[in-house]
Amino acid sequence: MTNPEYIRNFSIIAHIDHGKSTLADRVLQMTHTIADRDMMEQVLDSMDIERERGITIKAQAVRVMYDADDGHTYQLNLIDTPGHVDFTYEVSRSLAACEGVMLVVDAAQGVEAQTVANALMAMNADLEIIPIINKIDLPAADPERVRHEIEEALAVPADEAVLTSGKSGIGVKDALEAVVARVPAPVGDPDAPTKALIFDSYFDAYRGVVALVRVIDGSISKGMKIRMMASKTVTDVEEVGVRRPANVPVDQLGVGEVGYLITGLKDPSLVKVGDTVTLAKDGAAEPLPGYREVKPMVYTGLFPIDGDQYPDLRDALDKLQLNDPALLYEPESSHALGFGFRVGFLGLLHMEVVKERLEREFDLDLLATAPSVEYHAYKTNGEMLALHSPQDLPDPGMIEHIEEPYLKATVLVPPEFVGAVMELAEGHRATFKDMQYLSATTVDMHYEIPLSELIMDYFDQLKSRTKGYASLDYEYIGYKTSELVKLDVLLAGKPVDALSFIVHKDKAYARGKMLTEKLRAIIPRQMFEVPIQAAIGGRIIARETVKAKRKDVLAKCYGGDITRKRKLLEKQKKGKKRMKNVGNIEVPQEAFMAILKVDD
Amino acid sequence: MTSPTTALYVHVPFCVAKCAYCDFASRTPRVPSELSSYVNAALTETTAWSDRGVLGDVSTLYFGGGTPTLLGDGLVSLLAGILERCGLRADAEITVETNPETTTPEIVSALRDAGVTRMSLGVQSFDDDVLQTLGRRHDAATAQSVARLLAGSGMSAALDLICGVPGQSMESWDASLRRAIDTGAGHVSVYPLSVEEGTPLCGSVDAGCVPEPDPDLAADMMLHAAKVLSAAGMVRYETASHARPGQESRHNTAYWTGVPYIGIGPGAHSMLPAGEFDRIARAEGWYDHPWNLVPGTSEAARVRFSVAEKIEDYLAASLRPPLVAVILTASEVAAEDVMLGLRMVEGVDVALVDNAGLTGVLAELQADGLVERAGERWRTTERGWLLGNEVFGRVLEAG
Repeated sequence: MTNPEYIRNFSIIAHIDHGKSTLADRVLQMTHTIADRDMMEQVLDSMDIERERGITIKAQAVRVMYDADDGHTYQLNLIDTPGHVDFTYEVSRSLAACEGVMLVVDAAQGVEAQTVANALMAMNADLEIIPIINKIDLPAADPERVRHEIEEALAVPADEAVLTSGKSGIGVKDALEAVVARVPAPVGDPDAPTKALIFDSYFDAYRGVVALVRVIDGSISKGMKIRMMASKTVTDVEEVGVRRPANVPVDQLGVGEVGYLITGLKDPSLVKVGDTVTLAKDGAAEPLPGYREVKPMVYTGLFPIDGDQYPDLRDALDKLQLNDPALLYEPESSHALGFGFRVGFLGLLHMEVVKERLEREFDLDLLATAPSVEYHAYKTNGEMLALHSPQDLPDPGMIEHIEEPYLKATVLVPPEFVGAVMELAEGHRATFKDMQYLSATTVDMHYEIPLSELIMDYFDQLKSRTKGYASLDYEYIGYKTSELVKLDVLLAGKPVDALSFIVHKDKAYARGKMLTEKLRAIIPRQMFEVPIQAAIGGRIIARETVKAKRKDVLAKCYGGDITRKRKLLEKQKKGKKRMKNVGNIEVPQEAFMAILKVDD
Repeated sequence: MTSPTTALYVHVPFCVAKCAYCDFASRTPRVPSELSSYVNAALTETTAWSDRGVLGDVSTLYFGGGTPTLLGDGLVSLLAGILERCGLRADAEITVETNPETTTPEIVSALRDAGVTRMSLGVQSFDDDVLQTLGRRHDAATAQSVARLLAGSGMSAALDLICGVPGQSMESWDASLRRAIDTGAGHVSVYPLSVEEGTPLCGSVDAGCVPEPDPDLAADMMLHAAKVLSAAGMVRYETASHARPGQESRHNTAYWTGVPYIGIGPGAHSMLPAGEFDRIARAEGWYDHPWNLVPGTSEAARVRFSVAEKIEDYLAASLRPPLVAVILTASEVAAEDVMLGLRMVEGVDVALVDNAGLTGVLAELQADGLVERAGERWRTTERGWLLGNEVFGRVLEAG
């Protein structure tokens, strides 16, 4: 055990792409935690998808030993947090394990929406904030302006901001010195009953669930009998250790230390992020504050293109969930698409990442329906139905009113784009709350917006209308009543359940019309004519037609052409694999997402 | 060793210039000597095939391209050299493809005297605007006089026409068909234009300089062609081919009826029964080369292959182990025979389809109005001709 005086626990927080993971890499290299020859880009982002997309999805913790200028060797626990708003809860739990943060701001981009959101989270957790102005070697770097923005937007004194370049390593030592000097040492009672926070967990096929923990009081050692306070699970400690970044077993984790804990439990739902670990007998009276159940915000139907892959999809979801307890799913059957799952996600990025992992790591061809939110339908008899799919909406006659989730959205944008942001908000049923100039170049705007509008193409549009300058952050604020109706889509006269969606009454006509037009362009000509209709209740509000295909022939078919033709037909067959047969109509996958691409 | 009847194809991979829509194996000769190098290489390859014993009973010989007549007198000596090397049937069909700008009265009579029985002329259109869109080097007037020359040469004359060209009207198409009939040619092939990736035409369409072909108009043109040509006594015998009785292409019919064929030249394909291929491959030591055919693969029923795709490779050495091979199993062969049979107006025998296990697929195609039962044969319908990929694709997929 290390004397807490020589322990520093800190996180690196940043807006996406501001260089967090690269900076973490340099810290690992400088402290010789990882030999130069083993260094690969973004060590802490261990999933292929994380590396490819340059994002962090899972929290990570690594212990490094740092020889500071004061002559002492410090144990630094670096907790890398997910940078995306979908994973806010994970970020908040990671921060709860720290005493300080490096707040990384890109020297050219300046303060952005998630910089503000992350900084506020760190302040609320009472953490020491060390501003880091990163990428100072960029030609467009303007540290003075960024310093000013940090002070204005975040009210964080920035005169002691550290200037770094994660790429070249400039200033990394200064940043570590600042951590040692300014982040408080952890404080806890070594003699009190054990209290440790689970801030992340993952599943290991051989060892079961591995929890990442931070000890607050007391200690955890091998063989100890412990209890998870929220899940009320009692178990033995099989192994404790630290991550450097590979797991290294130790005898004990003491006050202030960060490490991992293996109990042999195989069920991830028993080892929850945010839960408190204590002694099975005479344990702590109160758990650590802040625990909550993680709830999905966005739901989508996932269906195998080839119906035979349904059992494979179920197995794959089971396996992914072991590492991702926020992933919820239940079987769903669709007339159009057959058997699949309704899957709940924390947000759109989470959804994309999961779908990509299912297709890549489990070799599945999947079709995703347009994402939906959880609607609350109150029936005339007072009963409330939580709907994850538009198909579950009862007959309008039975509904008293419907509520939908709302968000508080924060948009940071240069002043010249304020008009564009306002206009976009209006088209997405957002209510303007207030705005404030953070600096001459940045305006901070606040809206209330239905989540269902945000998961339409709001973010893409925001980026394109502001030439990429706007940044967005949001938090959930609760349910509000809305005038919502279900819009059905019929192909060749038959309703296709997987294409229906819930929409605000005032927008139903416009969206119905745009969607049928989009579908006409997406659905290829078939052997017969295919009418496309949009309907509310039984009333048709829009109609388009895909004409029957009349000619599809390659006339030449001589010696070598036969080989060519075979190849071509095989290529076409592959193309068809990406289509779903709805009745006898071949519908491309993108049709089910078309509603997201409908412009207002 | 007695060989089965064989069709022999000779690919001449050179053209004066590449047409805008063409993605076939051809190019302009880099130096004039390439042409004579090619003739030597092709003769070397022919000798090899002759020695392998598969050219003893050749029923049809076809010079395609490219533009075979670009070889000029070289073509006459190539033909003579090939005739020396193989056993050609007395009644064999010998076809030469040509185009209007390389067809002179001299070469026509030279070829006829050397034994050529059939000339196939790439007219494509008798409309100068359409010819320009296609990037052809000739005009309508030249095409017409050359077509008449061929029709009166004593050889059988075949013309190719293309429909569905961007900017081509139904009137223009009708006029081309009628002028083709007027030349006295005995055979007309009708192809709907397909815009192939990577061709200049495809670039022009993508850039918006040329409108996209209208598939519905092309369908109407194909229907119109069938009507006009039939009325003039040229009966359709294959999806794209119309002929006066007795003037059907025997060479192409060989492709459509599963007759083995040998292709000479770069980019030309050969097709042999697997046993025959295996015998030759062992003798030639092809299996020692790193390619994927396992000796004596019991699954294999037919093998289709080519020895070189690039002209340079071929000119460097025309004797090489096959480069590209497609190995077909018995059921794939059966499906392919049915597919090819359905391209023919006479259709396929019910028993053949049954043996191939394809009766169910044909019944589905029948339900979609693409094929029909006529007595003991399955035949493609008018709708099926237009939606050929649907018919051929579903049959091949089931094989």
